[in-house]
Amino acid sequence: MASKSLKNLTAPLSGNNPVIVQILGICSALAVTVQLKPAIVMGLSVMVVTAFSNLVMSLLRNGVPSRIRIIVQLVVIAALVILVDQVLKAFVYDVSKQLSVYVGLIITNCIVMGRVEAFALQNKPWDSFLDGIGNGLGYAAILVIIAFFRELLGSGSLFGVRLIPESWYIAEGGVYSNCGLMLFPPMALIIVGCIIWAHRSFNKDLQEK
Amino acid sequence: MKVNTNSNTYIIIYSVVMVVIVAVLLALASLGLKSRQDENILNEKQTQIVKALGENPDEVAYNDIITNAVLLDASGAVVSEDTKQVFAALNDLKGSFAAGQYPLFVATSGVVVPMYGAGLWGPIWGYIALDTDMNTVKGIVLDHSGETPGLGAEITTMKHQRLYVGKTVYEGDEIVGITLKKGGADKSNPHEVDAITGGTKTSDGVSAMIKECLNYYKPYLSAVREADAADPAVEGQGESNTLND
Repeated sequence: MASKSLKNLTAPLSGNNPVIVQILGICSALAVTVQLKPAIVMGLSVMVVTAFSNLVMSLLRNGVPSRIRIIVQLVVIAALVILVDQVLKAFVYDVSKQLSVYVGLIITNCIVMGRVEAFALQNKPWDSFLDGIGNGLGYAAILVIIAFFRELLGSGSLFGVRLIPESWYIAEGGVYSNCGLMLFPPMALIIVGCIIWAHRSFNKDLQEK
Repeated sequence: MKVNTNSNTYIIIYSVVMVVIVAVLLALASLGLKSRQDENILNEKQTQIVKALGENPDEVAYNDIITNAVLLDASGAVVSEDTKQVFAALNDLKGSFAAGQYPLFVATSGVVVPMYGAGLWGPIWGYIALDTDMNTVKGIVLDHSGETPGLGAEITTMKHQRLYVGKTVYEGDEIVGITLKKGGADKSNPHEVDAITGGTKTSDGVSAMIKECLNYYKPYLSAVREADAADPAVEGQGESNTLND
């Protein structure tokens, strides 16, 4: 039983990753990955919301009228996101400012509703909670990988700390220039594609025939 | 007892109960956290005003540097010196500007003018500090609610805000503000700074905001400038006192 519960937590990290295997939540993965810091905070916020929306919906699963279950899911998720937003504003104001509109956009993240619909409505609360944590972590991991490459190649820094010396730049007489394309959303999509490519060549069972 | 979870009565009762519970929960959270949030917001505004003057907010407190917070009317006359009222006006700057109320923060080293404008995705705002000549920029703080991180949101970085220091906003008797020039500013032009790469719309928004908001304060700023020009010996407040003696 314990190992089965644990599997709910670990499967979404690689073999059943929400972003690169289920292809969910791509939109926000493009929006918040220009820098590492917002990507990490966004990943953690999504994790909190997936975990608790899964938990709440799993507790309610036997009473929810199936005809309005999507509406019920949205109300629960929206209420949780507003709570997270309020708490961030009250206790970690800086972080809340960093995330700005993206906190509100967690409501529309397909992973949250996808996991509630596909997992929490059929499973026990504890398993659902772990599934939520796992999927949130899997999402966060991909965001961090994308943000790493985009910030390093696009701005020459990590966590806002400059890594490429100023003197290497063409403007200062050097030979290096930041890849401006990295700052734009299409590059995030291309990086996601590269990650999927690498991931599938290591995991042969995921390859479609 | 078996309940039919698909009957209309059940669905209606379920929805009503659910909505009431969620509404009460959110209302409680909002009420309970409001004082903390307001404190954060006030604290941030004061920190930004101190930063605009080029001081480190960790070392210099708002109360130490700002000698007077006032509310001006459209003709530049002071209508209120009540700090609470000034910050209330600052909280809804857009509405205050529309109603002809202009909050201003006076320090011995200059004045801080709050600004409000539109970026690409949402509102942008900030503070611009002018030296005692009401012309030279001492510093600027810019902020936004929804600009893209790495692009438009770069206006909040020190790297960008440092560019404004030492620029001037008056051209003759007109306030031209400071323009964010796409493709790089002309170094010799005192009214231009580099725009943000990939953030042209946000940069245009900042240029428009600086010009528009400073012009709201023009009657006051020009009056101070004229008073200085009429009596060139009067520079600091200390000197004016000795002259009067």
